[in-house]
Amino acid sequence: MKIKLTFKSLGIISLIIVFVISTAVVAIIDSRVTNKLEGVLWTIPAKVYSRSLDLAEGSKVNKSNLLRELGMLAYSENKNPSKPGEFIYKKNSIEIFLRGYGDQKSGLFKILLKDRKVTKITNQLGISVDIVKLEPIVIGGMYPSHMEDRILLSWSQVPSILVDTILSVEDQNFFNHNGISFRSISRAFFTNIKAGDIEQGGSTITQQLAKNLFFTSEQTIKRKAMEAIAALLIEFHYSKEEILLAYINDVFLAQSGKRSVHGFGMGAQHFFGTSVSNLETDQIALLVGMLKGPSLFNPRRNPNNATNRRNLVLGILQKGRHINSSLLEEYRSRPLGVVSPNFRSETKYPAFHDLVRLELRDNYEDSELRTQGLRIETNLDPVLQDSLEKSIRKTKTQLIKKYGNRLIELEGAAMAVDISTGEIKAVVGSSNPSRFGFNRSINAIRPIGSLVKPFIYLTALNKYDEYNLTTILDDSKLSLKSGGEIWEPNNFDKKFHGKIPLHVALWQSYNIASARLGMELGYDSVQETFNKLGISKSIERYPSLFIGSFEMSPFNAIQAYQVIAADGFYSPLRSIRDIKDVRGDIDLSYQYKIMQRIRPEPVHLLKFAMKQTFITGTARGYPRKTIESWQAGGKTGTSDDQRDSWFVGFAGELLVLVWLGFDDNRPTPLTGRSGALEVWKNFINEVQPSSIEKTSLSRIRYVWTDKQDGLVSGEKCKNSLLVPFIIGTEPNRIPFVRNKCASKPKRNKSDVMEKLKKVFEEG
Amino acid sequence: MKILRLFTYFLALCFLFSCTSNKEKPYLTANSISVSEFSSSVELLVADTDFLEGEILKINAKNPSVQRILVNSDRYLKEGKLIQANSELERALRITKDEGAIYLRLAHLRHIQGLLEESKSFASKALLIKNISSWERLLLNVYSKRPI
Repeated sequence: MKIKLTFKSLGIISLIIVFVISTAVVAIIDSRVTNKLEGVLWTIPAKVYSRSLDLAEGSKVNKSNLLRELGMLAYSENKNPSKPGEFIYKKNSIEIFLRGYGDQKSGLFKILLKDRKVTKITNQLGISVDIVKLEPIVIGGMYPSHMEDRILLSWSQVPSILVDTILSVEDQNFFNHNGISFRSISRAFFTNIKAGDIEQGGSTITQQLAKNLFFTSEQTIKRKAMEAIAALLIEFHYSKEEILLAYINDVFLAQSGKRSVHGFGMGAQHFFGTSVSNLETDQIALLVGMLKGPSLFNPRRNPNNATNRRNLVLGILQKGRHINSSLLEEYRSRPLGVVSPNFRSETKYPAFHDLVRLELRDNYEDSELRTQGLRIETNLDPVLQDSLEKSIRKTKTQLIKKYGNRLIELEGAAMAVDISTGEIKAVVGSSNPSRFGFNRSINAIRPIGSLVKPFIYLTALNKYDEYNLTTILDDSKLSLKSGGEIWEPNNFDKKFHGKIPLHVALWQSYNIASARLGMELGYDSVQETFNKLGISKSIERYPSLFIGSFEMSPFNAIQAYQVIAADGFYSPLRSIRDIKDVRGDIDLSYQYKIMQRIRPEPVHLLKFAMKQTFITGTARGYPRKTIESWQAGGKTGTSDDQRDSWFVGFAGELLVLVWLGFDDNRPTPLTGRSGALEVWKNFINEVQPSSIEKTSLSRIRYVWTDKQDGLVSGEKCKNSLLVPFIIGTEPNRIPFVRNKCASKPKRNKSDVMEKLKKVFEEG
Repeated sequence: MKILRLFTYFLALCFLFSCTSNKEKPYLTANSISVSEFSSSVELLVADTDFLEGEILKINAKNPSVQRILVNSDRYLKEGKLIQANSELERALRITKDEGAIYLRLAHLRHIQGLLEESKSFASKALLIKNISSWERLLLNVYSKRPI
């Protein structure tokens, strides 16, 4: 059969082809509309938060740290705090208008402080309140590849003034059109023809949403047609409220480094450091005004443009009678009030972020983290983190000044943890802490030098029937065959010290005495202690192990010291507290774990020896009262040829470890004392930890002993020291020379019993 | 006869000493109260978990702010919301680490969670706190001395 190609039939065929193609195009756009609006738009990256701060009656608080934290949270000082985000600091009190977070309602609270403690909290009505909670800081996120960052708002979270402002400025006819407003298009068309250029847009909010979701900003007829089809389809599928909400959550507001800031929820956080519900009308006007040109009207980069645009928007609001003239003048007179951005890339704290990722790896898929809007609440203390970063930077500058430019490539890592709970409060993985890349806190495996010695001494003290703090060790010349070679360890001062009590050998960090002690104890006993301290690595059976050839990362080293600082209770270090889902319910809790690995008494003895580092040793300089109130203790470490400088120390509730060295392992001019200890001191001096209560150990007795021979001495004898002993192990021999000044040792019942038993058995 | 009398005195003296001293090495433990030294009430505590829980929840914190958090935690515990109860207890610990009442609840909670070693460790840690009451000490000993 022949088909006659008439003009009419060609027309019909063309129409069919156009219809098929149009239908296909519409179907494709329709599928993209529904996919995007129901899929990608609602995928929210996981957000990482610092810890929130509870201020409770009786809780310890450091005033300057609290003020720093308020600064980091973008609270501003105001004589009469009247809106969320304001505070006033007086001599013994602080009034904060809290923004509200979780179960903490927004409101003004007065917090009275005395002796580094909160003594009373009252609300605006003067009624006493037990606890108030300061919101956490957003410190990072887990973003999809397009790096879009948003905080999803539900309709109930959108303030009505935001809706009024958007509609007044962007689409006054929104509730009356079907996605396209021909009136707006024709008005824009004639204006543009008249101007000979594109001066005005006629896009409705629905069209803008369509454009934001699918198309580039290129102004072509084809794109406009596609946009119009998409807008009609959006209106067909969704209600006006759903469209407006999608728009509020999707609009592009700023680029911050690699991260793009979308939606008013994130915009409020990014520019004002608060939630959208806390925004004032002038702040909303600023954000809405930015929609016309996020870069041109960016308040940080172009504050004048942004101010003019905000004022214009405020004028529109006044014309629409959403605000009156006096409010208009007040809002126009206000400064923009934007805060510094918290972070520009994936996170503000790369080293801490690495730890969070490592912990999450076992429980979450990457895709879950990037799309499900999880809230990751961490243990990071922003003030401690800031101080640790500052300390490592400051110390490096000081060291370069002292030793010259050869230290320019000096690297470092540091960690601060809560001793009891193992919560990681701060981490630095580089001497330039904000730099992404090699994280030395977890990845630098280096010889720990004398940091190993407390592990050896703890092995001895745990054998309490054989060793105590005054057991005499031998620090005379040692010569050993090891691996076919003669091994002769030296002390740092290149001297031999003969017979010395165990505690002196430890705080003086004598190598030869330590090596002898290690060999006496045996590799198996030492390995056992290592395992108890959470070190899973097997030791190599060389005597050099006992003076510091053992290699560890700062993370693993501080974990081992956590057990010591916590009196023998092992708590795995953890950076995360809880993961909450998008509704705010706990999805996973990283709960506090604890296992008693060593009895508290031998650890108490070890900590006594480590305290001497602060009293007479390398970290001396702090007042005795401070050392006692912090229950401080520490240990320096220096590896062969001074390639690694270490210090670990506990003060109050904090355990802090620092490592300094070069990545290529070349020697430094630094010892543990001249390098890492300086970082530690700079940090501790700034954060000033709170004091802690002493533990109650009924089985410990303090006895005056001689610093040289370790035998009984007295307060009035020269060269004496009050040393703790596990009851039943204390020395009782008084040398003749100290007969007059020595305190007579107390006998305890068990000694008497032992003697009686002996008499009875012998009898 | 005199020797016999002396020997009797000696034996009495020995008996007196053995009653006042611990049988195990004195320095082996920091905990001074042995559960076995208490009779019926302790047996009841060990055997009846509900009774024990009741006694634990009666222990209040000295600090009123901490007590408020403990009230929340106790409510969660009764509702069987163990994660939330734990979360509140950890919150209380961040305010103070010197309240036996917090550790006691943690020891109990971990016991319910089946984490017996942790339960024991929490109790042992609390026994190092100064100024805890004798009753707190006894309840803590129920957990610290419980065989795993």
